[in-house]
Amino acid sequence: MHLPDGFLTPHIWIPAWLASLGGLSYCFRKASLALKDRMIPLMGVMSAFIFAAQMINFPVAGGTSGHLLGGVLAAVLLGPYAAAVVISVVLMVQCFIFQDGGLTALGANILNMSFAGALGGYMSYAFIRRFIKNSKGILIATAIASWLSIVLASLFCAMELACSGLLPLKAALTAMVLVHALIGIGEAVLTCLVVSFVLKVRPDLLYKPEGSGLASNSQSHKL
Amino acid sequence: MEHSYIDEYSRIKSFIHNLEPRIKLISFFALIVSIIFTRPAAMPAFGAYAMLIFLLVFLSKIPLMLVLSRSFSVIPFILIMSIFIIFIKPGEPVWEFSLGIFKLSITNEGLAMFLNIAAKAYLCSLSMLLLMLSTNFLNLLKALEKLRVPSILIMIISFMYRYLFVLEDELMRMKRAKDSRTIAGSRWFHARALANMLGVLFVRAYERAEDVYLAMCARGFDGGIRTIYDYKLRIKDLCFLATAVSAVSIIKIYIG
Repeated sequence: MHLPDGFLTPHIWIPAWLASLGGLSYCFRKASLALKDRMIPLMGVMSAFIFAAQMINFPVAGGTSGHLLGGVLAAVLLGPYAAAVVISVVLMVQCFIFQDGGLTALGANILNMSFAGALGGYMSYAFIRRFIKNSKGILIATAIASWLSIVLASLFCAMELACSGLLPLKAALTAMVLVHALIGIGEAVLTCLVVSFVLKVRPDLLYKPEGSGLASNSQSHKL
Repeated sequence: MEHSYIDEYSRIKSFIHNLEPRIKLISFFALIVSIIFTRPAAMPAFGAYAMLIFLLVFLSKIPLMLVLSRSFSVIPFILIMSIFIIFIKPGEPVWEFSLGIFKLSITNEGLAMFLNIAAKAYLCSLSMLLLMLSTNFLNLLKALEKLRVPSILIMIISFMYRYLFVLEDELMRMKRAKDSRTIAGSRWFHARALANMLGVLFVRAYERAEDVYLAMCARGFDGGIRTIYDYKLRIKDLCFLATAVSAVSIIKIYIG
């Protein structure tokens, strides 16, 4: 879903850059209010974590494999604003170092995966959590949110491609959303498995939606 | 552990490597943006840009085969995302064939658009690749900071760069331990084991981040960041910038 350079026309990628710059500065401000000067090391190491997590290939049916994307995983563990920062940083590094996604399309990629994906996914997570409060609710909300985050990101991507005049809107929407509805199932299963593990061993590390900042503020026991 | 190191070719001594990082960044960004704004009809311009980029590769003394093999790895992604444009774009058909009920037709307009997009995407990723191969990553970050990118973002990225390989090593160690212990087992069992590994990695990464923060506090970290930038603008750099900009604008004005 990383859009390369040349796919989007300037009247799409320039506004996308502006929107993601504005959104990012807002998320930076919100995250640094909660994390204060712990923000730099925490966000840096967590970006490296998401990046490393995307490298592990999980076996899927028939010899194929897929990897985690981690938007909702980051949001459930770190909170929405910190997750948006982390995913954007990962996208920037992928764009610069691995030429995964283009420089002019970086704004659109951040908009799709960080804001529509991670933030949008987190909103649905928080919404579901309001109705189911126990730990089973966390897992159900995580599953739905991570499926939705992939579909939302692909929806944004399809709309950008269609607005650039590459594809008719209907074809782009059906093709992208159908493919990513399948990919989203994998993402939902994987995110649930990882979150349920963290819930078992260190439930204090999960982001608490109602509280301010991150759950644990002090150095706690080692595994 | 084995890694494909990010900037193993950044220590070669060459004209391109020695350029002031800011100048290099600005020139390459100008090149990318000007490739993006090429008119669809101006196919020869892509040839001119490719020649310009390969001239830069030659000047940078980076092995040509390395640049080509790395740059070819992006082609499948470009193709997957753009190949269907050939069939969908309405226009004058060049070639038609039918598969049962489906009738596929390749159109002139679709083909032109596909070539245009694929060339842009490939050339841009090629320029980005050359920029990365010829610049030390930390110098690149310093140059970005000098160009007014917020320093908190730069700090986060440099922390990420620093711990990326540490975490990757940890993950590979866990994966090797798992692989040597689990031979049989269903797909679900393996998926669960891998997911638990990621969970362990998260907990360890979080604790590592707290350790790093405490160590920073112990050394007097107050939230502010001071970096040394020991590059100076030389006449050579300004000459390169002028040449690069004029080359790009000549292509732009005369070909498109």
